[in-house]
Amino acid sequence: MKGRLQVSAAIAVAAAALTVAACGGDDGGGGGDTTAAKDATSKLSDKPMELTFLWFEWPPAQALEELGKEYTKTRPNVTVKVNTVPNPQWHDAIFTQFAARKTNFDLPILDSQNIGEAVENGSILDLTDFVKENIDTSVYDPYFLAAYGQYPQNTTGQPEPDAKTYGLPLLGDTWSLIWRKDLMGEEPPATFEDMLAAAKKCQDENKGMSGLAFHQAGTGDAAAVTYNVVNALYGGELWDQKERKIEGIINNEAGHKAMDVLVNKMVPLAPKGSSNWFIDEVNAAISQGKVCVGMQWIAAMGGLLDPASSELGETREEILEKLAFAPIPPQETDKVPLGGMGLHVSRYIPEEKQAEALNFIKWFQTPEAQKKWAQLGGVPARNDVLSSPEFLETQPYNEVFTESVPRLKDFWNLPEYAKLLNVHSTQVNAAISGTQDPKAALDKLAADEQAILDESGE
Amino acid sequence: MADTLQKTPPTAAPAAAKLEAPPAAARFRFLTDRWLAGLFISPALALLVFLSIWPLIRLIWLSFTDYSVTRDVPASFIGFENYADVLTSPVVRERALTTMIFVVGAVGLQTVLGFAIAFLISRRIKGRGALTTLFLIPMMLSPVVVGLFWKFMLDVQFGVVNSFLDSLGFGRVEWLTQQRLALLSLIVVDTWQWTPFIMLIALAGLTAVPKYLYEAAEIDRASEWFKFRRITFPLVWPLLLIAVMFRAIEAFRLFDLVYILTGGGPGGTTETLSFNVYKVAFFGFDTGRASAYGILMVIVVIIATNIYLRYLNRLQER
Repeated sequence: MKGRLQVSAAIAVAAAALTVAACGGDDGGGGGDTTAAKDATSKLSDKPMELTFLWFEWPPAQALEELGKEYTKTRPNVTVKVNTVPNPQWHDAIFTQFAARKTNFDLPILDSQNIGEAVENGSILDLTDFVKENIDTSVYDPYFLAAYGQYPQNTTGQPEPDAKTYGLPLLGDTWSLIWRKDLMGEEPPATFEDMLAAAKKCQDENKGMSGLAFHQAGTGDAAAVTYNVVNALYGGELWDQKERKIEGIINNEAGHKAMDVLVNKMVPLAPKGSSNWFIDEVNAAISQGKVCVGMQWIAAMGGLLDPASSELGETREEILEKLAFAPIPPQETDKVPLGGMGLHVSRYIPEEKQAEALNFIKWFQTPEAQKKWAQLGGVPARNDVLSSPEFLETQPYNEVFTESVPRLKDFWNLPEYAKLLNVHSTQVNAAISGTQDPKAALDKLAADEQAILDESGE
Repeated sequence: MADTLQKTPPTAAPAAAKLEAPPAAARFRFLTDRWLAGLFISPALALLVFLSIWPLIRLIWLSFTDYSVTRDVPASFIGFENYADVLTSPVVRERALTTMIFVVGAVGLQTVLGFAIAFLISRRIKGRGALTTLFLIPMMLSPVVVGLFWKFMLDVQFGVVNSFLDSLGFGRVEWLTQQRLALLSLIVVDTWQWTPFIMLIALAGLTAVPKYLYEAAEIDRASEWFKFRRITFPLVWPLLLIAVMFRAIEAFRLFDLVYILTGGGPGGTTETLSFNVYKVAFFGFDTGRASAYGILMVIVVIIATNIYLRYLNRLQER
């Protein structure tokens, strides 16, 4: 009996200790504001070092690692490594490490919309002073600086003089229109609806081909960006930032018109069963000659001109005889989506690594590095490089980006972005795939997103 | 001799020589059997505590807070708010229905097919081992790998299944992008992978049925159907039910196939409860709510399993 009592007492003590440990924890973590980076480059170390990036798997990631070899020429003790994960795991891979307050990457490459979440959680360095002292911001389109690095982002996309900077542009991007000029002619369509009409005509005239390939998947931001593009082209807005209002804004008349165009005009032109398509599937459909028109992120278009994966020709020149590129045509407005990502520095790495990461950012913004980046297939952000021959002559579609810069428009970059995006993508995909009526899907999207905003604002 | 007889017999046994432990044993005298037992199980116990019990206690605590793992804000106690949110959420109800349909469909199909295959194999003398091994291959593969190759095979435009159907003139089928077919595809792929598990257990049950029962039935000129209905099935059924229970628990927490094959689409219609927990936990990092969600799922499994086990025990008592 005594023994049993002893065992029970021991278990009770252990359980109590565990409960205290479990409940107390270290919830506070690092705490505090995002650490400011300032005179970091003076702390550079000469010890051998690997500077690690985390991105998702796509051609620019390999190009960045290649570019890293140029950086090694200036800093021989440093090697650059770009770790990649599949696109759907990209956000989780970065933010779960932020959650652990220990990262195996030094420079997380964040989608512009994820900045809010990283800043609010104190996971990336405040680069405001560093940028003031080391970077000539006048050589960038102000919207790039606002979208890829500042938080909170101004509604107009113009940077505020007092706004804090948490990153600098790594890769600019937007959608390009790709069409079969051998079937549809050389002239790009004047409006978005002209484009839809031309795609339908091409579909009707060419048996076995579909009119239009675009992103529709309910995962990532595929379907969400597609709806946002059409919504913006038809004059719609995502929200009223000042009032924090989504309901009644996104599902206003313009929003419903955009959803109607998406579901009733674009989806019938898309290949059967394409409601789970994203970047790779759209590229494959264009390369295999299955569609007349495609819409794709410029940074993901490298493979389109590769004869090894194309049925449009045996050489790059033969493929280019069939494909043409242009900016997305305007409709009620001329807005096009802002893609691309910014360079940021993890707060949870040693000081010498932070210094090296900042030095890389400083180097990366030089015209020489940006031109080399363009030659390797990256999309630079400096104005002078965007109009330089090194960029414009590298790929036939690079001009599309330079022309699109004044037309760019981004999502929200709120800390609640991941939750909002989940609702956005799911509901747009529900409308596209026919599992929900388009009007009902948009109204549910608006209501659910408003609830998320309201809950976070409580 | 006489002297000896005249002596009075000893009233008490002579005192035994005092037993002394060898020097080494004396040093560990404090190690009683009870302590030794405790010492031996302590490494396993420590692992259990730190890998299972401590996380579980912490999970329970977090489920009563508004904690988010990425926010630098301490957890605040909010009572049963997370539980109420989860239990009253229409999204959770939809996902529960999807999960239920999946569990019933997949486990039902696997049971029928698994038992049928096991029954056929058990009647075959030659090549029985080779056939069994062959059937077990899908079970040995990673669900992610299985999901990926089925995704390629079922793709409408580029998949081999649709190319084959198209060549036969049936047209292309939207296996993964049409609401009902997408859920059916998940059931089919899960069935392809896990039918061998049921088959294996059913085969073990069938092999264990005593031969004399069949011999007695044959003497009585019983039909094959009678032997199956009255001997084979009743004896294998309890074992089969255990396999069904394992599979149902596994199917209830299905995540990987959904993640790879459909991503929860089209329009979230193939999202299971586990997939939804993942979204709550990692899209916005609502750690407290996700903890409550996870605990509720565990409670459902525990209750269902208990009811099931009681039924199983009653069946075996009969």
